[in-house]
Amino acid sequence: MKEKRYVMGDTAIARGALEAGVRVVAGYPGTPATEIVEECLGVPGVHVEWANNEKVAFELCTGASLCHVRAMPVMKHNGTNVVTDFLMHVNFTGIRGGLVLISADDPGGLSSQNEEDTRILVHQYAHLPVFDPCSPQEAKAMVKEAFDLSEKTELVFCLRPVTRVCHARGIIEFEDLPKELPAAHYEPDRERFIMSGVEVPKFGGLKRPQIRHRWLNEKQPLLQEIMEESPYNWIEKGKGKVGLVGCGMGYTLIKEAEQCLDQKLPLLKLGTLPLPRKKVREFVKSLEKVVIYEETEPFVEGLFKKIFHEEKIEVEVLGRSGFVPSDGELNLQMVLETIQKAAPGVKVNQPEVPTLDIHIPIRTRTQCVGCNYRGILNALKQTVRKYKGIVAGDIGCHDAGSFRPIELQSTIYCMGSSVPMASGMALAGINRPVFAFIGDSTFYHNGILGLMNAATNKINVNVILGENTVTAMTGFQPHPGTGVTLAGEKTTKVDVPKLAQSMGISYRVVNPYDIKQCREALEAAVKEEGPSLIVSSMPCYLLSTRRGQKVFEPREVVLNPERCNGCMICINDFGCPAISFNKQEKKVSIDPMICVGCALCVDVCKRGAIL
Amino acid sequence: MKMDVVITGVGGQGNIFASLVISQSAMNKNLNVLGAETIGAAQRGGSVVSHIRISDGTIYSPLISRGQADLLIGMEFVEMLRHIRLLNPKGTYLLNAMRIPTVLNNMGLDEYPANEEILEAARKYCPNGYVIEASALAKKLGNIQMTNVVMLGALVKIMPFFDYQEIKWLINANSPERFKEPNVQGFEEGYELIENK
Repeated sequence: MKEKRYVMGDTAIARGALEAGVRVVAGYPGTPATEIVEECLGVPGVHVEWANNEKVAFELCTGASLCHVRAMPVMKHNGTNVVTDFLMHVNFTGIRGGLVLISADDPGGLSSQNEEDTRILVHQYAHLPVFDPCSPQEAKAMVKEAFDLSEKTELVFCLRPVTRVCHARGIIEFEDLPKELPAAHYEPDRERFIMSGVEVPKFGGLKRPQIRHRWLNEKQPLLQEIMEESPYNWIEKGKGKVGLVGCGMGYTLIKEAEQCLDQKLPLLKLGTLPLPRKKVREFVKSLEKVVIYEETEPFVEGLFKKIFHEEKIEVEVLGRSGFVPSDGELNLQMVLETIQKAAPGVKVNQPEVPTLDIHIPIRTRTQCVGCNYRGILNALKQTVRKYKGIVAGDIGCHDAGSFRPIELQSTIYCMGSSVPMASGMALAGINRPVFAFIGDSTFYHNGILGLMNAATNKINVNVILGENTVTAMTGFQPHPGTGVTLAGEKTTKVDVPKLAQSMGISYRVVNPYDIKQCREALEAAVKEEGPSLIVSSMPCYLLSTRRGQKVFEPREVVLNPERCNGCMICINDFGCPAISFNKQEKKVSIDPMICVGCALCVDVCKRGAIL
Repeated sequence: MKMDVVITGVGGQGNIFASLVISQSAMNKNLNVLGAETIGAAQRGGSVVSHIRISDGTIYSPLISRGQADLLIGMEFVEMLRHIRLLNPKGTYLLNAMRIPTVLNNMGLDEYPANEEILEAARKYCPNGYVIEASALAKKLGNIQMTNVVMLGALVKIMPFFDYQEIKWLINANSPERFKEPNVQGFEEGYELIENK
């Protein structure tokens, strides 16, 4: 039975995998891929889980695949970086049950700490095939086909959807799920699955890594052949000597641009890596120039140049190496401007709109009103000021403490890097107290390794674990400190104090809604030699509120304007969106529409003006 | 035919609910719909925007470009202004008269333009606009989170494309049990906010 639903691209991808008979799905939350995992939940016989990190998820899925069942690791681009080590082995061994890696990219860094193009990592570096979808519908079809092709070629297939596919919504056809999933079984094949530098007699004593590398190289012509026939690559005829190439979302923008152009230019739509070489050759036969639109690096552009060089084709290749901007997300404006530049004879008709002569303030995100991080961040801000400390930050909701007005964390890189970076600062001999601030999901992702390292090597670093018991930023996914699984079953919960004890690290558990208690713990940690752990423990306010649970007793908070001298400490060191500064009166005010009554600001004000 | 709708606001104002209702109503008319949302980090008090593209033909990009939108729904003054250039000056806008200052505004380091200044700029850009006190009404009805359904009520009154009974039904169907009744009430009162033309 077929049914049409209006759903997100992530839901479409999940549905495609379920229709293809996926049996194990594992991932780590990350925008824009998070919902793919969640949307796989609830089908009997299909195991769906949040893993500690992406590498664990990928390895787990590979284990399942070697037992001949279909598996899907899901992550955002940063996670694919974490997986690289394993990826550079599984590409050599190949797989058994269909294994489709979902690596979602976020051009423009809309919800990410960097922007990158994982097609390069998966295709150029690991020599594995990649599908680059242009819509939720195509993403669903590609996932299904990727499972079949993965089994046919014995290779990991990758789907690389970008944010505008994952978080687009479209009308998707839901088809029936398979009634039965194939049974798992395992037969050893040590020549394949033992990746080790050992001599292989069959190949005259050559080492196994070289033999497996050769195996992967010999797969490439087969992939090439498959992509020549792929329904995701096609040519659309047009007029003139300038051709347009649209990869994934680039294609949709060219189609939008066509509606503003007075003529149709030849168009090549691409959705696969490797490229369909013959199709590329056919497309450029009567062209002088091609412009390639892709997210985000000039990767297909480079492949075109390579093909043209090898085949002595004299066609100019333009794209994201500068002709089209080399950073950020593609948009219609960029496409129209560059088409006009490449093909000056083409007329562009676009509605003119008036310009605005008014200042529009920039809005940055903050922690939620009522968030417990604001308490521990304020205590840390005070401590850092008093002892001239430095704070290395990490990924997660607390990162907003590094923006204005609080500006506390001095560094933020990637998952778990806070503790090792703080350790390095301490070891550099700056003679200032060094802190690392890390959330709990990030801690279990791989932050725990940095802490263990600090313990073993007796590094004088103060680690603050913001334990809100959930992966809050991506929408409240459970982690090893939550005590429930993704499916909602009760499970073990890591006991952080016991963990610290076993590492021989001093620890203090504080309530972040008690700023004085937090400050005292932080000061004690500063005065102590060696690594110290402060566990700032309180469930996420937003999640608790949604569940009807209280993390504090809300009360009315009022300002006494007589006592307020406009020092702004409650704004600059605390940054609650409910508190604003009135320039005329030189005093602050509290907006009752926004305030939720956590009353943390009462402790922040040194003059007793907030009651 | 085509109808391109942009909804702008601050994370937490209920953009996505409104965009789902609008999209489903178009789907029920057997039209094509393609949309895009801001989800994730930007949710936490940041600037959010939803694009909804409705057409009886093929839709390629989920994003609405400069001057393409037929309708702009602004849940907040500055956020509407931020995306107003997506609106076709011959289109329509519906604005909720609500100011949510930014962090830099709170610090006194950045100016939030006066309401009159914003309205003047909007009028100059597009003459066909409606400004309503949706958040004030939602708060009066007991929950400021109902701003979105109040806005949908007003929308039905000004855009005949959207059917009163159908939108009401969709609001009811998409609301959690305990919010069904208040949300429908908010919708009905929002409808009355706009005077009969």
